[in-house]
Amino acid sequence: MQFEAISIEGLSHRFLSKNRSPTVALNDVSAQFPAGKVTSIVGPSGCGKSTLLLIMRGLVEATDGKVRFLYGNGSGKLTAGAAPRMATVWQSFNLLPWRTVIDNVAFGLELQGVPVAERRERAISAIKAVDLAGFEQHYPGQLSGGMKQRVGLARGIVMSPDILFLDEPFGALDAQTRLYLQEQLAELVERSAKTVILITHSIEEAIFLGDRVVVMTARPGKIAATLDIDLPRPRSFEVQKEKAFGDLFSEIYGLLRDEVRKSMLS
Amino acid sequence: MTQVEQSARAEAETSKSMQKAEVRLRDDTWWYGPVAMALFLVFWEVGVRVGNVPEVFLPRPSLVVVTLYELFAYKQLAYDLVVTLYRIFGGFVLAAIIGIGLGLLMGMSRRIYAICDIFIAAIYPVPKIALLPLLVIWLGTGNAFQIALSALGCIFPILINTIIGVRQCDEGLILAARDLGATQLQIQRKVVLPAAVPAIFGGLRLALGISIILVVAAEMQTARYGLGAKLQLAGQVLETGQVFAILLLLAVMGIALTKAQDRIGNIVDRWRAR
Ligand SMILES: Nc1ncnc2c1ncn2[C@@H]1O[C@H](COP(=O)(O)OP(=O)(O)OP(=O)(O)O)[C@@H](O)[C@H]1O
Ligand SMILES: [Mg+2]
Repeated sequence: MQFEAISIEGLSHRFLSKNRSPTVALNDVSAQFPAGKVTSIVGPSGCGKSTLLLIMRGLVEATDGKVRFLYGNGSGKLTAGAAPRMATVWQSFNLLPWRTVIDNVAFGLELQGVPVAERRERAISAIKAVDLAGFEQHYPGQLSGGMKQRVGLARGIVMSPDILFLDEPFGALDAQTRLYLQEQLAELVERSAKTVILITHSIEEAIFLGDRVVVMTARPGKIAATLDIDLPRPRSFEVQKEKAFGDLFSEIYGLLRDEVRKSMLS
Repeated sequence: MTQVEQSARAEAETSKSMQKAEVRLRDDTWWYGPVAMALFLVFWEVGVRVGNVPEVFLPRPSLVVVTLYELFAYKQLAYDLVVTLYRIFGGFVLAAIIGIGLGLLMGMSRRIYAICDIFIAAIYPVPKIALLPLLVIWLGTGNAFQIALSALGCIFPILINTIIGVRQCDEGLILAARDLGATQLQIQRKVVLPAAVPAIFGGLRLALGISIILVVAAEMQTARYGLGAKLQLAGQVLETGQVFAILLLLAVMGIALTKAQDRIGNIVDRWRAR
């Protein structure tokens, strides 16, 4: 059975707290995330992007609404089914500080009972892919922010998931490394047709990597617009110089500017 | 020696010397403490001689050492030392097993916490030495009593630190483990427990000190053997040299135990990665 898409319907989420009024993080969010494509999510800080990710990932239960994973049965129709394999790369890295880089990257494989030799081999190649060869035996505390982020990235891709969730995966990187890893990721996606959900603060990144960009409103987060990105693939960073790219940028920035202003005023 | 043995030994030696190099890299002040101590002892020795301080008031350090040797040679102090260590570690180990076990359960389960919390709140603030009469009635004045008293004192720092260690585990790490497919048991074993290790170890450290204090104090009150008993006896007959000798032994014991804990701490850190 071929995995097709994630569909979310009417998702709302409220964070309850003892001594404050509840925070409404998401308000009636519905969207489709096509399979084998990259969907970027942009929105003002605090609008509920990470919360949305946690809900889709099944790690937080939404106050309201549904997340469905849809499968095709060959007849073109989609049916709901069990969750596909998924992995997440976290905004705050979430590396285990007492494990070395290689043991962090191999953590998921270890949990699944993959034999030592195989997980070692797979972890080493994932570490190479994020340009951290030579740091296998370092501890997270001995790495820079950008290096930690790349360890988190390696820990996700080593699982070869059907769906990869990326929450601000390049936020802590310098501009060059960021560009380099964006290109690597674009290539990975084009080669393996992975489904990727990419949360980012960078409009350029959302367009450059995305097949679709979901723009969210200020909190409580709703979907402001969904744009399809028809730029040809494979893409290199040169695509950012094209007029179509600039137009998309302006459109998304226009939407976001209003939202950011709203979130500042509220 | 075979080829393999030789190369294994060579490897062990290089890794040992590398470790040493690392230690040196980190700590070039290790000799400050011993030198300061040596200077202090010299002043003491000279001060007592020059000032003609009476021996029953303050004996010279050299005399204290000689007295300590004599206690070992003619008064079977080694037996007292073994008895005291047995009581200290008996209570400590008992408390560690119960404290860590219960602490993990209490940290992980809100129900178990709710049940046990009130008992702890009730017993924790009671000075453990105040339980002495009751324990003597129940257990007599032998080893069982000493071990029970020490365990009662040790269990709280271990228990409380274990609970705190479990609780303060970063929520993000648990999410990351769940994301990677960890079962509940794997989360406890591979995330929560290792995250709690430094706190647990801190509790064990405090507990060992408490155990020494309680056992020696209880021995002074009730026991016939043990360092505390001998200390009390020496004080009663104004054998100041012997008092100092036993205090010296206690101090050396304290240093040895602390250093041993440091070593074990390093080993545990390595184990955390598994
Ligand atoms: N565990 C929580 N408890 C209470 N409130 C929370 C919790 N997590 C998030 N929130 C609130 O929900 C809202 C959305 O948070 P979220 O982390 O999803 O934002 P975000 O869009 O990812 O922001 P950023 O771009 O800055 O990462 C915020 O207002 C935040 O204060
Ligand atoms: Mg976020």
